[in-house]
Amino acid sequence: MSGMSTKRKVLFGFGIYLATAIALLLIFGSDGKNDHFKPQNEFKLDEWVPIHLGGLDLSINKAVLYLVIASALTIATMTWIARRMAEKPNRVQTAVELAYDLTRNNITGGNMDPRLAARWFPFLGALFFFIWFSNMIGFLPLPVNTEHTVDIFGLELPALAIYAATANISIPLILTLVVWFSYHVEGIRAKGFMPYFKSWLPPGLEEMNPIGRGAIFMIEVISHFVRLISLSVRLFANILAGHLLLLFMGGGLAVLLGIAALGALTFPLAFAFFIFEVGLVATLQAFIFATLTAIYIGGATSAEH
Amino acid sequence: MDLTALPIAEVTDEGVKGAGKAIALGVGAGLGSIGAGIGVGFIFGKEIESVARQPEMKSELESIRWLGFALTEAVAFYTFIFGLIAFFLS
Repeated sequence: MSGMSTKRKVLFGFGIYLATAIALLLIFGSDGKNDHFKPQNEFKLDEWVPIHLGGLDLSINKAVLYLVIASALTIATMTWIARRMAEKPNRVQTAVELAYDLTRNNITGGNMDPRLAARWFPFLGALFFFIWFSNMIGFLPLPVNTEHTVDIFGLELPALAIYAATANISIPLILTLVVWFSYHVEGIRAKGFMPYFKSWLPPGLEEMNPIGRGAIFMIEVISHFVRLISLSVRLFANILAGHLLLLFMGGGLAVLLGIAALGALTFPLAFAFFIFEVGLVATLQAFIFATLTAIYIGGATSAEH
Repeated sequence: MDLTALPIAEVTDEGVKGAGKAIALGVGAGLGSIGAGIGVGFIFGKEIESVARQPEMKSELESIRWLGFALTEAVAFYTFIFGLIAFFLS
């Protein structure tokens, strides 16, 4: 093996990978399409503790559990790190200080003026850390799958599954609504009610007739409402698509189509996607959400458009 | 709007329905990622170009690059999610 060039080693490895898949296809063949397995049920929310108040459904389910874990982790780790701050920081403290520095100077400080940044930093920092923790625990398999149970010594235990609070549209939507209303309120507070809405119009249109200005104002109104969708769906879709990719690559596709050989082909890809999701997407989406919030608040309050 | 007035709602054959769903997922995930792929490539290409011209701007461009990357990359997921909704939830 030592005499082989890198190119041949790569080809050899790829050959083994393909040969395994072909051998499995020859041995097991295709079992036909599996109608029993429903991938969408992996994201179904079973009511664990049903609470119904009139028409409101406040039941405790998987998403609520993840929401509580993420909030508790955010509060606990941050206060714990803050309590045991040392002169000589260890690795955890250094990492948290880097993240704190990122939220304070880069996200908040870089997008609004210092007075506003001081006011909004706690909110944006909390937003960043909450979304980050929520995304990250979404990639730890936890025993939350109550639809399929595992039997261990007569005990019916829920199977391991991945889910995240942010993989459910309602939580990103609520965060987005808070952001949306707060940047409008902050804009009205900074400029006054009518001047704020007038500031939506891009500068240089003073000479234009009222109908044209009205049309441009309507476009601006639409763009403000589209922010509601784009901000929430971006976070939700990234996390949900990541989980679906892991589910399908890690064997879901093979089970669904009933071809065992496909599992051998897709399983290594599951590792690649896992590294991509944990290493990049989880952090990047938290960063993007906080940065866009800062840009919206900064844009609503700044003098020029 | 009354959906039964549209010809699309009259499709009762399971095979045709399944094919339509599969096309929705294929077009959603496939064509959607073309645009996002071009966009992401454009951002990284331009960033490399800028750093080659002005290497001292590297640290400032870094956060802008990730912002642009995430905004563009999300477009692929919008179409992917709507394709999945069409495939599994309709």
